[in-house]
Amino acid sequence: MEQHDIEEDEFGFSRNYFLAKELGNSGKKSGHKLADIDVVDEEELREALANIEQKHEKEIDELIKTYKSSYQEWVCELRCGFGLLMYGFGSKRTLLEDFASTALTEYSVVVINGYLQSINLKQVVITLAELLCDQLKAQQKFTSRSLHKHQQPFDSRSMDDLIAFLDQHHLEDSDSFICVLVHNIDGPGLRDPDTQQYLARIAACSNIRVVASIDHVNALLLWDKKMVHTQFNWYWHHVPTFAPYKVEGMFLPLILAQGGSSQNQNISWPILMKKARMPVNNLYATCRERFLVSSQITLNSHLTEFKDHDLVKTRRDTEGQDCLYIPIPNEALEKIIKDTSQ
Amino acid sequence: MGTSNPVVVDENSLQPYFVLHKASQPPRKTSGKTKRRIDLSPLDPHKSDNGSVEDLDCFGMCLQTFHFFWSKIEVVIKDVMREINGDVFDKIGCWIRESFDAMSSCKVSDLSQATNSYPLLLPASHLALSKQLFTGLVCTKNMEFVDDSPTFTELAQHLKSRGCHVANLSSLDFYEKNGTSNCLRNLLRQFLMGSTDAADISSLASWYHEQDRYKNPIIVIIEGIERCRESVLSDFITLLSEWTVKLPIILIMGVTTIVDALRDILPSSTLQYLSPSKFVLGSPTERMDAVIESVLVKYGTCFCLGHEVATFLRNYFLREDGTLTSFIRAFKMACVQHFILYPSGLAISGLLENKYSHDLSYGTIASLQGSIVKQAFGLPSQLRNNQVEPDGDIFHDLTEIQRHWHLWSSLVMCIYEAAKYQKTTLLDLYCEVLDPQLYKAEASGDQVASRYSGSLCSKSHCLLGKHPSLEMCGSICQAARGLRDLPAKELWQLLMKWSELTNGTSEVHEKIKELQSLARSEDRMHLSMQQMDMSNIHTIRGNVISGKDMAKLGEQAARLAGCMVWEYMQPIECIPLHEVICFKNVDKLQSALIGDPRTRIQIDLLESQKFLKCSCCRENACISLPSIHDTSIIYSLAQEHGDLINIHDWFQSFKVTISKSGMRTKSRLKQSQSPSPKKRKPSNEPQKISEASIQARFCRAVCELQIAGLIRMPSKRRQDYVQRVAFGL
Repeated sequence: MEQHDIEEDEFGFSRNYFLAKELGNSGKKSGHKLADIDVVDEEELREALANIEQKHEKEIDELIKTYKSSYQEWVCELRCGFGLLMYGFGSKRTLLEDFASTALTEYSVVVINGYLQSINLKQVVITLAELLCDQLKAQQKFTSRSLHKHQQPFDSRSMDDLIAFLDQHHLEDSDSFICVLVHNIDGPGLRDPDTQQYLARIAACSNIRVVASIDHVNALLLWDKKMVHTQFNWYWHHVPTFAPYKVEGMFLPLILAQGGSSQNQNISWPILMKKARMPVNNLYATCRERFLVSSQITLNSHLTEFKDHDLVKTRRDTEGQDCLYIPIPNEALEKIIKDTSQ
Repeated sequence: MGTSNPVVVDENSLQPYFVLHKASQPPRKTSGKTKRRIDLSPLDPHKSDNGSVEDLDCFGMCLQTFHFFWSKIEVVIKDVMREINGDVFDKIGCWIRESFDAMSSCKVSDLSQATNSYPLLLPASHLALSKQLFTGLVCTKNMEFVDDSPTFTELAQHLKSRGCHVANLSSLDFYEKNGTSNCLRNLLRQFLMGSTDAADISSLASWYHEQDRYKNPIIVIIEGIERCRESVLSDFITLLSEWTVKLPIILIMGVTTIVDALRDILPSSTLQYLSPSKFVLGSPTERMDAVIESVLVKYGTCFCLGHEVATFLRNYFLREDGTLTSFIRAFKMACVQHFILYPSGLAISGLLENKYSHDLSYGTIASLQGSIVKQAFGLPSQLRNNQVEPDGDIFHDLTEIQRHWHLWSSLVMCIYEAAKYQKTTLLDLYCEVLDPQLYKAEASGDQVASRYSGSLCSKSHCLLGKHPSLEMCGSICQAARGLRDLPAKELWQLLMKWSELTNGTSEVHEKIKELQSLARSEDRMHLSMQQMDMSNIHTIRGNVISGKDMAKLGEQAARLAGCMVWEYMQPIECIPLHEVICFKNVDKLQSALIGDPRTRIQIDLLESQKFLKCSCCRENACISLPSIHDTSIIYSLAQEHGDLINIHDWFQSFKVTISKSGMRTKSRLKQSQSPSPKKRKPSNEPQKISEASIQARFCRAVCELQIAGLIRMPSKRRQDYVQRVAFGL
């Protein structure tokens, strides 16, 4: 009977797929164009976006508050060596940071914003190593002899060395660890296999515990069994919040904003925003890495448009390279970044 | 929801990473000898928001007990694995010694030559031998690589204890991207113990010839060569082969199957350097049974699994995951969940076993006892049986559980010994003997169960091999039936084993002794018949008597097996107070072990009103109300489309839905015969929503669906459509 159910389930998936296909093909395929929608001015659209009144704000707050009663249980699971993986619809950023701020005060907490486009994991690991080192010094476990052994500063060590340092049994008390809170571990900045392997190795370190959130329905495909069972050691929690993905969706295109081709422009600009100047080649490499453009020609077409609107300018640097920059003062840029985050 | 500082959060939200806070103080040390009040009641999630400090202290002590318990379990598992792998590891050890001796015959005696940074050139006569790499192929019998890893780590430890220099490499070291440099660097890191930037094998040669290291071989273990990049592995082997004279490296490779494993992966030019030997590890099923025996059957006095949980784990192992690692992980999860539910359950049962009484003061023990008496009234098994007196000796009851468990576990092993002849796994048997339904049905005289149990205890059809369907019988039945046809020698060995296993349990031991003495006399009779046979007198008759007697003996053994099961093996869930040590919440375990984002996120969206419990959206609303979460609305609307969704149509439907007037909603409510339409509060939606606002809400909802991975954005070819990704739950 159970076997029958499993087969039925498997059959169900394929049946649904073909039914959907059939529905798409057989019925009258709608020929309406996106352009038929009388889209308001993009500026107006963005303003409206920033002013959307949240539905069920009270209920969402109440829902998030109900998870507070599980905090103690979550801490316990962390202390038992598990990593916490939170999933369910809605932004879990506020929930997880509240959990860390109220229930994990005894432990140092480092937050990684996986929804951002680019994250330098080595810098994160250096920070973790420094925190651990401080903790050891505070506990006076780091004798002068061991300090001598670790004379090399953390930022000049290799990733393997740093991970090995995090995994050493420095702390006699196994209950002492640093918590890494990863928002959107399946996000664009962390999605590539190498980064996931590093994250898994970090999670497996004896002095580290990971609390992470996923939002993508296929996030499981990022990991193999070794990563799931022995490195991340996930303990799943279904915590839908229905809170809006304000920051997480910031870099994603607006479906009604000037059609498909302009969507990528929406994304490549923030990359430039974070750099004072950036050589064209580097920008191309970064955009390509993040699947924003697939060729130099596409990027150039975007840049031309930016240049036409004076959003981006070119200047030659000391090495003779053409560097792109945004001709806006730093303070103004920071404000834009802040505004778009809200 | 009060985050510490919203402004800080916003500033940090665009940082790739940031330190939220540093540890406020060293984590609270919880002493086992604490005299604080111990609250045994299950953790009530609604009791307090964050849990009081006192709770946390109690929690800390219980956590300490859990860590103590789990470290014991880990030791048990490690011992089991060591025992299973012991023979193979010893064989590998001997082979390494022999190989090293053979390699030593063409070793470089001159140290300066050995530490040169280039491979040694030898005369052609030595060349063939000198380039041979002794290679041990360890067959893991299709074990999942996640289970291989601890085995190879254990092997490395074993060989290190024999003086070998050992390094473990995994398939991750053999990526195409970095060529051999990655694996070489990892190798050097493990041997030289320091940071090595250069992937230079000559530094390994120098290291090897220092401080008498050359007296022992270098072992390189490569786990799961099937997952390595062939070209990198091939280059690595070629490189090592060039250095065999200076560096006596012996390779050990994990392969899932022996047949053609290497030939499929490596080119013949590389294969010629390898001199392979084969070793076979125990199968995953053998490992699983050994773990169940040691952890769940023999060590279950402090914590055990209920029938549903055990069956779930069995099915998960057999049908979905197939790894021992995840099984053990799930067991740990169950243990943690049980400990959260009954924080002191582990401590109590541990106390009864005298496993860690030295860690707890008398005051603590007394408070544990007091609390558990209080709690016992609420346990379902107690309410059912109404057995606990307010001043009753709860410890006595718990001791009874322990005593029962000892008898139960030894009898499970007895049945397992019999079931081995039918090739039944302990995993199957374990799930069967835990089933309280079968036991309850037998006690109440249920016909099906009687037929089932009768097969063991009486002369039923089943026992006599006339059961209409073998599948109707479980493992226990098959095991007992198999005893009838068991040859004399095996039956005798089985009785010996039973006697050994039940030693100390008076109930069954005597019956086994009786059967043994009967077997002994039958044996004597058989022996005398054989002697008669030798003198050619009544040969045929003698064999017939012997066969009949054996069948009779087999039948009696089968009956005894039946008695063991039905008279003494009461499943743990049928015993009062079992909740203290038995974990039964299969749903909780399942949701913690197997996250199902694909289904759950879709359900979240389709049934958002159930989670938000708002007054404006009715539960189970089958129509899209304007007040429902925007993303839920557009996802519900998306269900009406095929694999492609026309953005224009989608937007228009969304617009219509959220712009529905109060009148229209009311009429629909009437149509759907809502029980209390009057009570429904008017919608929060403003009467007129601006076009910009509708478009912005649509954009954000689509964006959220994209984050959830439920749609794919328009491509250049199909600019007017988004693609649905998930079809059905």
